[in-house]
Amino acid sequence: MTITALTSTEQAARVIQRPRLLVRVMAWEFRRFFASRLFWFQALGLFGFLLLMTWALHAPENIGAGVVHGGSGDSQPLNGFVAGTSAGGLLRTLPTVLVVLALLLPFVTADGVTRDLNRRTHELLMTTALPTWAYVWGRYLAALVMSLALALLLLASILGMGWLLHLTVTDYPAPEIGTVLLLWIGMAVSATILVSSLGFALSTLLPRLSTLVKVGIMVAWIVGGLVIPLGLGDTTTPPTWYVNWDPTGAITARGLLPVYAINPNPSITSEGQFQQFILGVENKMPDLAGWFAPHLLLAGLSLVLVLVVAFAFKRSRATLN
Amino acid sequence: MELTIDRLSKRYGQHFALRELSLRCEPGMLGLVGPNGAGKTSLMRMIATLLEPTEGTIRWNGLDIRTHGQALRQVLGYLPQDFGVYPEFTGRQFLRYLAAMKGLSRSIINKRVDEVIEIVNLEQVADRKLPTYSGGMKQRIGIAQALLNDPELLIVDEPTAGLDPAERVRFRTLLASLTRNRIIILSTHIISDVEAVASRLLIVQEGRVLSDTTPEGLLAQAAGSVWSVTVDQATALQLQASYQVSTMVNQMHGVTLRIVSATRPHEAAVVIDPSLEDAYLLATGKQAVQV
Repeated sequence: MTITALTSTEQAARVIQRPRLLVRVMAWEFRRFFASRLFWFQALGLFGFLLLMTWALHAPENIGAGVVHGGSGDSQPLNGFVAGTSAGGLLRTLPTVLVVLALLLPFVTADGVTRDLNRRTHELLMTTALPTWAYVWGRYLAALVMSLALALLLLASILGMGWLLHLTVTDYPAPEIGTVLLLWIGMAVSATILVSSLGFALSTLLPRLSTLVKVGIMVAWIVGGLVIPLGLGDTTTPPTWYVNWDPTGAITARGLLPVYAINPNPSITSEGQFQQFILGVENKMPDLAGWFAPHLLLAGLSLVLVLVVAFAFKRSRATLN
Repeated sequence: MELTIDRLSKRYGQHFALRELSLRCEPGMLGLVGPNGAGKTSLMRMIATLLEPTEGTIRWNGLDIRTHGQALRQVLGYLPQDFGVYPEFTGRQFLRYLAAMKGLSRSIINKRVDEVIEIVNLEQVADRKLPTYSGGMKQRIGIAQALLNDPELLIVDEPTAGLDPAERVRFRTLLASLTRNRIIILSTHIISDVEAVASRLLIVQEGRVLSDTTPEGLLAQAAGSVWSVTVDQATALQLQASYQVSTMVNQMHGVTLRIVSATRPHEAAVVIDPSLEDAYLLATGKQAVQV
């Protein structure tokens, strides 16, 4: 029987530079993600679902302006719609779509570190020379990039379906890229970072409660993004602080929507004019003062939480194997 | 290179897994044996920086691993008793991944992975996804990953569990070839594994060191205390109840017993050369029967 002798690894640099270790952890985590067929299937499924949602919500509000008298003395009803991919439309639809994203993100990020405990690969990794910070941050950043990629799918679905609707539906306006980008960053990106960081940080701190953490985040988001806005009804005005700091974006959108109210000008005499009037209102640039910075600040605070977790993470555990 | 353990204890609630264990290791192989629950795995996990001691210190080249754990992990190869894999990866990918995490430079990773794959005889299946591996193949992947960084301190916990006899012999030969210039701590229930390769034996029982000796020393302690006798079935049962019986073989003309005892257990019993397993039974006072 031949045994291959181990050659020396003296030529191997055992301590490689710090940033490269972080990149290595991230790169291998991506490889692991991409090696899974399920991942591609889920990403494709999500993109299809987001396209479908954007299509289904392409006219979130139909407006009938009643009967007006035209110049000829005839009377006709004026009907119009708010485009789902306009600023006014996105404020009506984005919080609902974000609920879907928030339900998915904890499953992408929460197990970044706890997966190793569950799969019993933890000990193999923790006995390597990989520094703790590189392990925790590498896993987190890889999961965050994957989450942001999912958020990017949301942006792609809004712009892609918006353009398709513009080309195929009469009077449907092309999406204003700048406005869509602002709302996407202020609401979708900030929410993505917040949910990803919270899920990762809490699961890493409480690995045995990882499932509970996921469920907790999902329930909290459903309550904040759907239940509370429904409970408030159409008449109640939420307090300003809540409008500015609501991470789900649902109450923020409510606070911004009055600007997008459609009050037809009596001089409008045709549906074309009416739709043009709606277009002018729905594509107004949203007022960023008040809510944009707090949303990004919440995302930033969640990054601080990950930083704390990276410091608190212990390689050794005082438990039986 | 030196591993020094001083008055090491590990307590879970009121239960001591390890109690004031002291040890000094230099290059060579230390066979760690003892009954289940003796504290072997706790000891190895503490050395591997996976478990914090309740009391005592572990020093690697004079540095306390509580504060200088990274220095130890740079040169550590560890095979846990039970470990998992990433089902998304092939065996080769999994080893490349761990090589990268161990800090091996990119230029050497592929060569090193090919080398350890050849060592553990997994060339034929290295590019298959890990969930398709048998238990023995998975164990060999575990052995391979422990060798990736050419460790100065190699800790292997029940490495031959799940291996077929040929692979077990192959692994023992490999371990024997690795003992120069490194410390190997081998924990096993299979005494023959230790007998074949370990230059030093540490018998642990109930968290304490029962004996720190060599295989030859342990055998010498058992000389004159191992007996062979062939008796009828009823007498065999009586002897089994009264003495430590290491083997019991049913034959045409009766039952042949191998008995570990300081005194002659039966008038027809004759002294025979002890095996390491006999010596281990004598040291631990445990009884194992093979029929």
